[in-house]
Amino acid sequence: MQVRVDINGERHERDVPGELTLASLLRDDLGLTGTKVACGEGTCGSCTVLVDGHAVLSCLTLVAAIDGAEVRTVESDGELLTRLRQAFTANDGFQCGFCTPGQLMSALALLETTPSPSREQIVDAMSGNLCRCGAYEGIVDAVTEAAG
Amino acid sequence: MSPRLIKTEAVVEGRVEERWTLVEDDATPEYDDANPPAVIGTPTPRVTARTRLDGSARYTSDIKLPAQLEAAVLRSPHANAKLTAIDVEAARAVPGVRCVVTPDDDLPAYGGSALLTAEPGYAGAAVAAVAAESAEAAEAALAALAPQWEELGFIINMDVAADAQHFIEDPTEYERGDVDAALEGAAHVVEAEYRVPAQLHNSMEPHCAVAEWRGEDLTVWSSTQAIYEGRAELARAFGIPAERVRVICEFMGGGFGSKFGVGPEGVLAAALAKRSRHPVRLVYSRREENLTAGYRSEARGELRLGADADGTLRGIEASVVMGLGSDGWTYPILEPMKAVYKCDNVRGFVLPVAQNLGPTAAFRAPGVMEGTFMLEIALDELADAVGMDPLELRRINYVEDDQQAGRPYSSKNLLDCYDRAAELAGWPDRDGLRSEGRIRRGMGMATQIWWGGGGPPAYAEVRVGRDARPMLEIGMQDLGTGVTTACAMITAERLGVSPQEVLVLAGDTTRAGHGPASGGSMTLASVAPAVRAAAHDSRAQLLDLAADMFEIAASDLTLEDGEIRSVDGTLRRPITDLTGKLGNAWVTGRGSRSPNPDGMSVNTFGCQIAQVAVDTHTGVARVERIVAVHDIGRVVNPMGAR
Repeated sequence: MQVRVDINGERHERDVPGELTLASLLRDDLGLTGTKVACGEGTCGSCTVLVDGHAVLSCLTLVAAIDGAEVRTVESDGELLTRLRQAFTANDGFQCGFCTPGQLMSALALLETTPSPSREQIVDAMSGNLCRCGAYEGIVDAVTEAAG
Repeated sequence: MSPRLIKTEAVVEGRVEERWTLVEDDATPEYDDANPPAVIGTPTPRVTARTRLDGSARYTSDIKLPAQLEAAVLRSPHANAKLTAIDVEAARAVPGVRCVVTPDDDLPAYGGSALLTAEPGYAGAAVAAVAAESAEAAEAALAALAPQWEELGFIINMDVAADAQHFIEDPTEYERGDVDAALEGAAHVVEAEYRVPAQLHNSMEPHCAVAEWRGEDLTVWSSTQAIYEGRAELARAFGIPAERVRVICEFMGGGFGSKFGVGPEGVLAAALAKRSRHPVRLVYSRREENLTAGYRSEARGELRLGADADGTLRGIEASVVMGLGSDGWTYPILEPMKAVYKCDNVRGFVLPVAQNLGPTAAFRAPGVMEGTFMLEIALDELADAVGMDPLELRRINYVEDDQQAGRPYSSKNLLDCYDRAAELAGWPDRDGLRSEGRIRRGMGMATQIWWGGGGPPAYAEVRVGRDARPMLEIGMQDLGTGVTTACAMITAERLGVSPQEVLVLAGDTTRAGHGPASGGSMTLASVAPAVRAAAHDSRAQLLDLAADMFEIAASDLTLEDGEIRSVDGTLRRPITDLTGKLGNAWVTGRGSRSPNPDGMSVNTFGCQIAQVAVDTHTGVARVERIVAVHDIGRVVNPMGAR
């Protein structure tokens, strides 16, 4: 079916099969491989991107269902995302980095709607993003610092 | 600096290996502990931060080559079965399918086993594989294969497998002294059985590989902890020289012991690429990851400990069963019993059993974690029987030397670890945590032992060209622990630049120098001395060039903060004043890891204390606090060691 999506500020109009996931569109069709698929079944949060400002799991989101949406990925820019990147660096909020794009996008969604979250709100908002290396302390510290 | 071949001993994930190693003399001065260089020990953000945070870091599962095919594997749904029919033609007829292979095809082996089997011995065993133009076409081809099975009996329960004497290899036995006599004469004897469950690694990035042939040359991108082991596996599988194989792993999403080499996925991707004449990508699904990519073996141990009235250990006996599934090796589960405490009478026995389950793999201190769990809880039981503080019991049974090898450790500061951990955790006041309410609290402790410490072989090259930014080449991979950042810091210190100015070129077997696998707590300790020697060599060459240019003796020159300085302070010039004259040439420093000192065992020690609360109504246990004090040697980057 015919869909139109804005991805990181660029308009894409495509005829897509009904079963095409947003993760597959981003990674396989557009080469935006910053978005990672770790479990492919909506458990780990690695594939989190923003759709109209909401954090969604791109491995479970059908492109056909988001016609007209604005999508942002880890490859996008922005003052808040830059601040988050700096805070993740300064607080060592990652090790292998495979879950990091998803962590960043969940944090971005939180801070856009809740600019000064409590530690509890941060932990709650990030609870859908698994980090197997165990960088959780650094991640929470980073989001706290980015919130300023 | 002429190279020499020497014989060295290495312990890799608990397996002792003796091997010939090429080493070169290392003239690099030791760090001055009284006046350590500023950069070493300074918290430093990872040099890979930018690429990992803007999505540009390319992991193996991100690789997409022109005309690349996607592979998928048909896996047995049964724990033990015979394939009775499979419709290869139907799979080949699926649009977009380029290659279908079954056990009937002549495929390379992996580690002595067939890549595909018509008699799968566990649910998840690979039976057939396809490569197609899209993942959807590959999945459709798997469905079209429509396999038929004859189901067979199976054993997955470890105890049942032990009773049925399904062994995967010979039992391991160990004995010193006379355990029976010792336990008979002991004032206190405790006897208990412990179980440790299987654990899945579940790295965020699943096992995956991308393979491409160009004529007889094979390139494989792999999510691996060991690019050189992977290269050897591929060379063996295809009968080609290792030099014709290139393994690349620039970024990887975790391994935890499950990714030493390119694995069957790497060999299978290369086999499909060869047959289809296209690059092939094979990425395990999370389900495949859990069924076939390895796990920590489960174990059951019966322990008997005996002590004198004053708590002195008289004897330790451990009889262990380890469930290794369809593959694995007897992980060193007896090591804690043999090594941690002074005891003249020790007997151990390990039965490695085979089950109709996937293969086990090394997993974070394989074997030693399980053995430690059993021994340390048994010691708590013994402390109770003796009526002694559990930490005091450990202290009085402290041993200074390696009892198995009969030689000293290169260093051992375990008693200091006990002191510090007890102080940080408030161990002496732990009885104050006790209460009679619904939530019961307690504090427990354990001693840690592992190998680590590293050793040869490891090599490095450091090039410095006109912009004075060092290029460090190491033939190893960073699985996320930050080894590249530590190596950048070590290089930066010798060359008077900041770590962020060092370009680290790693994760590729065509890089200069062979590097170690990332594992066994030995990666940095193996490669760092080679890096430091290479950086020192290039520093010495730069200072020689500077001596000619500025007419000051090289021994009176130093590199600091991007400048060439004379020690008397009369010369301060940017390093680029010198290197700018190199044109497109560069100086190359080389370094190798020297052997560890003879006659010593290299191990690591530590003490951990945990405070745990248990809800007596629900049984839910919560770890409220952990204090970990480990003797880890020199910390290069405190930020990475946190």
